[in-house]
Amino acid sequence: MDFIAENLLTILILLPVIGAVSIIGHQMFWKQESHLKWVTLFWTAVNFLLSLFLILDKSAASANGFFFEKNVPWIQAINTNYHIGVDGLSLWLVVLTTFIMPIAVLSTWHAVEKRSNAFYVFLLLLESAMIGVFCSLDLLVFYLFFEASLVPMFFLIGIWGGENRIYAAVKFFIYTALGSLLMLVAIIGLYYIHADQTGTGTFDFVTLLNSLKTGTMVFSHQTGLLLFLAFALAFSIKVPLFPFHTWLPDAHTEAPTAGSVILAAVLLKMGTYGLMRFNFTLFPEASRELAWIFIILSIIGIIYGALVAMVQPDIKRLVAYSSVAHMGFVMLGMFSFTEMGMQGALYQMLNHGISTGALFLLVGFIYERRHTRAITEYGGLASVMPIYATIFVFTTMSSIGLPFLNGFVGEFLTMIGMWNSTAVSYPRLATMFAGTGVIFAAVYLLWMVQRVFFGKVTNPKNKTLKDLSWREIGLIAPLLFLMVYMGVYPAPFLDRSRESIVAIEERLTKQAGGTIEHAESVPKAVIQTAKPAAH
Amino acid sequence: MTENNLLSLIIFAPLVGAVINWLIGGRLKNELFSGVVACAAVGVSCVVAFMIAFGIGTPHIGALSAPEGKPVLDHIWTWIQVGSFRADFGLGMDRLSGIYVCFITFVGLLIHVFATGYMHGDKGFYRFFAYLNLFMFSMLTLILADNYLLMFVGWEGVGLCSYLLIGYYIKRDEARKAAKKAFVMNRIGDWGVLMAIFLMYSMTGSISFFDKTVDGAQVQSVFTWVSQNVMAPESFAGAAIFAGGLTSIAVLLFVGATGKSAQIPLFTWLPDAMAGPTPVSALIHAATMVTAGVYLVVRSNAIFQNAPTAMFIVAIIGAATAIFAATIGLAQNDIKKVLAYSTVSQLGYMFLACGVGAFTAAIFHVMTHAFFKALLFLGSGSVIHGMHHEQDMRRMGNLKKYMPITFATMLTGWLAISGIPIFAGFFSKDEILYKTFASPNIPEPWNYVLWIVGLVTAVLTAVYMTRMMVMTFWGEERFHEELPVAEHPHDAARAEENAYAFGDASDAVEPHGDAHAAAHHYDDGHGAAHDEHDDEDEHHHALAHDFKPHESPWVMTVPLIVLAILSTFGGLMGVPYALSSLVGIKDANVFEHTLEPIIAKVSHKEAGHSTAATGEHAPAATNAAGAGHAASAAATEAAHDAHSPEEVRNERLLAGLSVLLAALGIGTGWMIFQKSPLKRMPKILAEKWRVDELYNGYIVDPITNLSRNALWKGIDIGVIDGIVNGVGHFVAALGGVARGIQVGFVRSYAAFILFGALIVIGYFIYYGFRLIG
Repeated sequence: MDFIAENLLTILILLPVIGAVSIIGHQMFWKQESHLKWVTLFWTAVNFLLSLFLILDKSAASANGFFFEKNVPWIQAINTNYHIGVDGLSLWLVVLTTFIMPIAVLSTWHAVEKRSNAFYVFLLLLESAMIGVFCSLDLLVFYLFFEASLVPMFFLIGIWGGENRIYAAVKFFIYTALGSLLMLVAIIGLYYIHADQTGTGTFDFVTLLNSLKTGTMVFSHQTGLLLFLAFALAFSIKVPLFPFHTWLPDAHTEAPTAGSVILAAVLLKMGTYGLMRFNFTLFPEASRELAWIFIILSIIGIIYGALVAMVQPDIKRLVAYSSVAHMGFVMLGMFSFTEMGMQGALYQMLNHGISTGALFLLVGFIYERRHTRAITEYGGLASVMPIYATIFVFTTMSSIGLPFLNGFVGEFLTMIGMWNSTAVSYPRLATMFAGTGVIFAAVYLLWMVQRVFFGKVTNPKNKTLKDLSWREIGLIAPLLFLMVYMGVYPAPFLDRSRESIVAIEERLTKQAGGTIEHAESVPKAVIQTAKPAAH
Repeated sequence: MTENNLLSLIIFAPLVGAVINWLIGGRLKNELFSGVVACAAVGVSCVVAFMIAFGIGTPHIGALSAPEGKPVLDHIWTWIQVGSFRADFGLGMDRLSGIYVCFITFVGLLIHVFATGYMHGDKGFYRFFAYLNLFMFSMLTLILADNYLLMFVGWEGVGLCSYLLIGYYIKRDEARKAAKKAFVMNRIGDWGVLMAIFLMYSMTGSISFFDKTVDGAQVQSVFTWVSQNVMAPESFAGAAIFAGGLTSIAVLLFVGATGKSAQIPLFTWLPDAMAGPTPVSALIHAATMVTAGVYLVVRSNAIFQNAPTAMFIVAIIGAATAIFAATIGLAQNDIKKVLAYSTVSQLGYMFLACGVGAFTAAIFHVMTHAFFKALLFLGSGSVIHGMHHEQDMRRMGNLKKYMPITFATMLTGWLAISGIPIFAGFFSKDEILYKTFASPNIPEPWNYVLWIVGLVTAVLTAVYMTRMMVMTFWGEERFHEELPVAEHPHDAARAEENAYAFGDASDAVEPHGDAHAAAHHYDDGHGAAHDEHDDEDEHHHALAHDFKPHESPWVMTVPLIVLAILSTFGGLMGVPYALSSLVGIKDANVFEHTLEPIIAKVSHKEAGHSTAATGEHAPAATNAAGAGHAASAAATEAAHDAHSPEEVRNERLLAGLSVLLAALGIGTGWMIFQKSPLKRMPKILAEKWRVDELYNGYIVDPITNLSRNALWKGIDIGVIDGIVNGVGHFVAALGGVARGIQVGFVRSYAAFILFGALIVIGYFIYYGFRLIG
């Protein structure tokens, strides 16, 4: 037990790899393809259960502010350490990853027909890489995991995708690989700058951060901007921020259901996570200076994504564009540099993972039945598949941001954070524009719901559709539960991430002179004497 | 601070009812069970609401009579707390919410009972009542919330329930379109509320309605902040709207109110919402939800009173909506559409009242309107039920012979809405008109203009309501007559749409057999969700030749009778001094006295004289808040009690005038429509001033086209992908691997990627070693 507690993160990262090996082994000895999904489900479920220890753990953070921190020398020649740990920022993202994986596996129960062994191997390797991304505290290790997550996803789209899968996979790969190559350059740059100024080069995030904080390492203004941009480009593509978003609709649409779910729920978050973890803390000056660009782009993304989603003839593509809009809210909240905005952004990352993940699952259900995603092929499904329709409408409401469902809390916090931000000149105008996204979300989602579910069944092919099976209900039920829970009682999530977010906020708002000026501009008319318990 | 945990029972009882009906009712499919559960749930709310409001069986004084309008609070849990922002799930009942909750639960209960009769035989019976209970939960949350954000939860919640219930007949095209339209238009308004909350928070640091202590923390209400920090009303100028002060907050809140309460420009969803079942129209689209906007404005009266510009806008929009909707109401043939436009028009009156500063009159009209409009809608429901789902008044006539109870009860509703004395509508409408005339905060001559608009609307109201009554209950029986051939394309389109939706057009691809097959399929399936509604129940085909309308069962007529009594005598709660003194009663305006403490005391001096205002208010600001309040309240009351003889005379004169005009309206309506009930009305009115066409042509279509052609196909696929693909091709060509990519074997990509990864890693190792070496 102690061993598990000591090395929990490493176990979480390695367990899926072991699972992948076990699948290959299983396939060599039994040649029973139908077992594979059970094996995969087993490993992902165990991983999820283990990850719950992260939440339950009440031990104090390390000196660096991380939990479950491990720092083991790896390639000493270049001073790279296997340095991992979680804090309030990454904790929920790790749990989101382990949580979404068993669901993704369950969603492919009957969907994968060819080469299922390879499919499950890639799925497990992907999980490993994603958890690694969120846990790494060494930039080089982070980069390797970041790149490593690309490869399984590329194959998931390229082999098991839809008709246009090759185009989508290559586009996905080129976009993201190009961005991350620049980030690699920046990482190496950091190494050399640190080596220049302190005598030892390092990829270690904590060391770099401390050097920056104490002033033992300083960039020129221009270097800071360039490094910031190199990181930001990689992450912005991943988010995706307008105008780097066009890989997303193709990738989402062509990917198999499990791929779309993981893409939406986790992969996109690697971008926003990276910005918050690395860009904001390593380059606070550059972040402040360039915030307006990101805010404008995220507002464009919110409105543009919504408008384009509205006119999509393909359900999955519609949901994909809605992702662009939703991630715009995350970016908006982050770049407000306020506690509320960044808390909201983090919360919205989780919400988007759950709601949009659920929408992709639901689209997957109907695709398995009819093998088409065109809205015009459907109509009147509510009378043929009442349970499906109910769940779909429910999920839609979560995505629209109906209060007391999860989406609202995140959107609200990101917007109120932006409203009170001092990061840009016209924060209120920005919020007012972004707020229209809330209206458009209702337009495009409800219009789709209206065309797909209501009215008479006009297409004879839809008349005999079976409603959801117990497996399908079971795999979406946890998501529905979370939609309500996170909407009604967000405190456990927000409390857990508070300290890390506040630390980032302070880092961002710390002026050159060393004085801390909160970015918030709210008068303290309300006397807040009580602070809720941290957990 | 008074706490009472029973408050949460008021909102949670209907929620429990909804859940039971959804989970158990769906399996049982027993109308008695579903009906009893739903009605009992609302009944519990109603009883508890009255207990707390009047202090019956509670350890504390009733919320309606608590000194200084102090609320009864119930903190349930802390919902969102980030930084200095907090939003509680906490309830509070003060005098305002007390009145609202009482009439909502009571009228709601009556409508629930009525609906058990109206929806009898509907396949989605349990689903209907689950939605209806869920609506009650949301509506009561809206009213009882103790802060703006929780109110917004209810605000959006009622929007959702409205969406679900308008679209209840999911197979009907018009229903699904109307449902979406309602939701989206409400959402536009919600944007305003959200922005108002943001601005309010950044200005006052609070979003709470009440001063309270939660978890040991003092929470100051928005209104206390305003009373302590705002010394004088903001200036009366257009620029104030954009200044980011109280006027901006007020205007943004009002944007929300126009959405929810169907005011210009966001009113077009309400008439369409009539596609829902009639009890829904009565409950949501007449008595309760649509008055939420008025609640919001009155609740925020401390903000509005300091924002004269916003008040003026509210008054203008209210009056404009009132007369605009009334003109359309003149020309509708669908009985529910007439009532819908009349609702829009009456809501306009309420906002007019808010705008001129007569907040108590607005709430008074909300309540009397809830009585008589619920009555009229339920009455129309009874008619529709008796006519086997015919809604077109051109095919009615002489129904008084067949439906005497419905006729008699609707008669009181008709007189009430027309403004005939002693009926409920008279007192509330008359008070609004008088307060408009005598408004201190509307610059002359605008108060007279608004007053005249109000009077004209009153006449029009009497005319179109008379037309409706005459067409329905008097004259010849027209049950078997064919409808006149579509008068204009709009009607034709609708007729066609209906024919298609109900499967009886000769060229419809799928006749009834399919609908039955689908319904059958559903029965085989799972009991939980959106089920099939048999459209035949809901719509009128051709009536049999021996068809006779019938009176509705008692579950429908009893609520009608109760509402008729309320519509007749309910107005006596708020008889103004000028009228009650006529019969020797000095102080009969219980209603106004009850609400007085929740209306903030703000000097109505024009902003130009801000120095004087500051002087007056300075003591209040420096004193402890409570003492200052009490003092100024006492002063106002003293001033109020002294009714100057001139004022009294004016009020009596104006009341007499409006009675005269109401009688004139009824007389005119009677003269015209008794003679020719099918008189063709002006085309532009029947076409609703073509506002829908305007919105579609100038807003919806351009946005859609822009999105499709310019954004998606132009920028996304054209520009961005063009660049990306161009670069891709260029690079591919440059590297001479174009052939490899074109072939499209996944294996070659694998090799490609592996190769790339190796280069990257190799690069590292190289630099790493160089570093050491």
